Amino acid sequence: MFPADFAYVHARSLDEALDLLDEAHVAGQEAKLIAGGQSLLPMMKLRLAVPEVLIDIGGLKELRAAGWTAGLGGSFNVLLGALTTYRQLERNRFYSEGHPVDRAGQRGRTGVVPAMTDALAVLADPQVRARGTVGGAVAHGDPAADLPAVLLALGATVIIASRKGRHEETARWPERVHRPMRAGSGARPADLPNVGRREVALDDFLQGIYATDLAEDEVITHVRISSPGARGSAYEKFPHPASHLPLAGVCAVLRLRDGRIDGAEVAVTGISPRPYRARETERMLVGAEPTTDSLAAAAAQVTRRPDGSEATLLGDQHASAPYRAHLAEVLARRALAKALARARVNLP
Amino acid sequence: MPAAREVSVSLTVNGACREAVVPARTLLVHLLRDHLGLTGTHVGCDTTQCGACTVALDGVAVKSCTVLAAQADGCAVTTIEGLGNSDGALHPVQQAFQDEHALQCGYCTPGMVMAVRQLIEDHPSPTEDQVRHALDGNICRCTGYQNIVAAALRAARAVPRGPSAQAAESPAVEPPSTEPPPAEPPATEPEG
Repeated sequence: MFPADFAYVHARSLDEALDLLDEAHVAGQEAKLIAGGQSLLPMMKLRLAVPEVLIDIGGLKELRAAGWTAGLGGSFNVLLGALTTYRQLERNRFYSEGHPVDRAGQRGRTGVVPAMTDALAVLADPQVRARGTVGGAVAHGDPAADLPAVLLALGATVIIASRKGRHEETARWPERVHRPMRAGSGARPADLPNVGRREVALDDFLQGIYATDLAEDEVITHVRISSPGARGSAYEKFPHPASHLPLAGVCAVLRLRDGRIDGAEVAVTGISPRPYRARETERMLVGAEPTTDSLAAAAAQVTRRPDGSEATLLGDQHASAPYRAHLAEVLARRALAKALARARVNLP
Repeated sequence: MPAAREVSVSLTVNGACREAVVPARTLLVHLLRDHLGLTGTHVGCDTTQCGACTVALDGVAVKSCTVLAAQADGCAVTTIEGLGNSDGALHPVQQAFQDEHALQCGYCTPGMVMAVRQLIEDHPSPTEDQVRHALDGNICRCTGYQNIVAAALRAARAVPRGPSAQAAESPAVEPPSTEPPPAEPPATEPEG
């Protein structure tokens, strides 16, 4: 199986990638960006995507820059380059084990984001994880993607570059630097004179089935996470046995304080046109005493919006909409139970 | 550089420099098989599921039916043909597959061997669970996997412990340092 014929070009810089997008637009050609290609190439083989120009951004160092900081309470900030592969995330001890100071002598403590470790272990397969990227996972807008559910629950934002002046700029780079920049590892994104940046919450970025807020002249450069803490987190999925995509998947994050739930974020994927935050479930959890019953009652509302209406549900030949909704409730219960157990282990 | 329907690809395959001019839509597996004559890498499902086309791209196992030849430009590729010694001796993973009779029709075997090679590089002493999990992306329709898993475990005992690929691959985020984290709400900045 071949993709339909297309013209290929390897962008050597972010600047050039933006130029190439413009050139294709002027020529009236549909252009697509390719990085890992683990979702795009299968779609192109099936002619579900038929770009005329393929712009390879896999070599752009401007999309690789990344850093992290962690606070003692479990809070952390992460800036992920869009080209970060699942494999790189999987092998990063920051997520699986946490900060060495924080975990010193604390047997049984989890990493900073165990939900991330959960998701990466069940996402596709090792070969796909070696190529697939964070930016691609977000840009693809797949209704049944694993990582966006975790990123949604972590309140992630997407940083998007375009020609200066085209879109309103909002991205801010913090003044304070925990880890110094490495010399020679590329220009700081904000320093490119002709490139403007905006930052949009992933919750606003995801819009529907393969539909996102990304405009034709834009490139995702980073995903940013600023979390008050996600040690009490878990991701649970029910995979399709062949594709490994989630028929339903739930990411739960719980923070405890004085025996009660102080913060709760729950994200659902695979059952709706886009991964979504289960706001009604979250509302019921915050302030509640964490018991099997209270978690189950909140999980039962995982497809309910705060206004009482039901989330839009999808079904297909693999699983009907009601079945997926049922799976989501069961998985929400499991993810919350696991997140709670981890939150308790990590209590100071 | 304008976009082009034909691309010139230059890469290292099993240690030798190879060059080819191919249509842009050529997949890495077809470059290897049809242009370079390396037919040990098989095309199974062609949909990124079966893993028969697994090769090592810059040292990491990938599915070559889901990589464009153009994306491999400048990279080093190792195929099943490049695993053994030039004197004909089998790679320890290949030897383990022979010893455990880990194949019936053999169609999935090149991909299985390349996937197991990666597993052992990442986890030099894998458990049976880790083996089965690591072969998630490789499908065998004959064996029921028992002997493949046995071969992977045997190979892990046989492969000499070398430096892992970790050093060669750049981490997404710097590994944690030993310096204490800031007490105040911290800030993040791109490193480069």
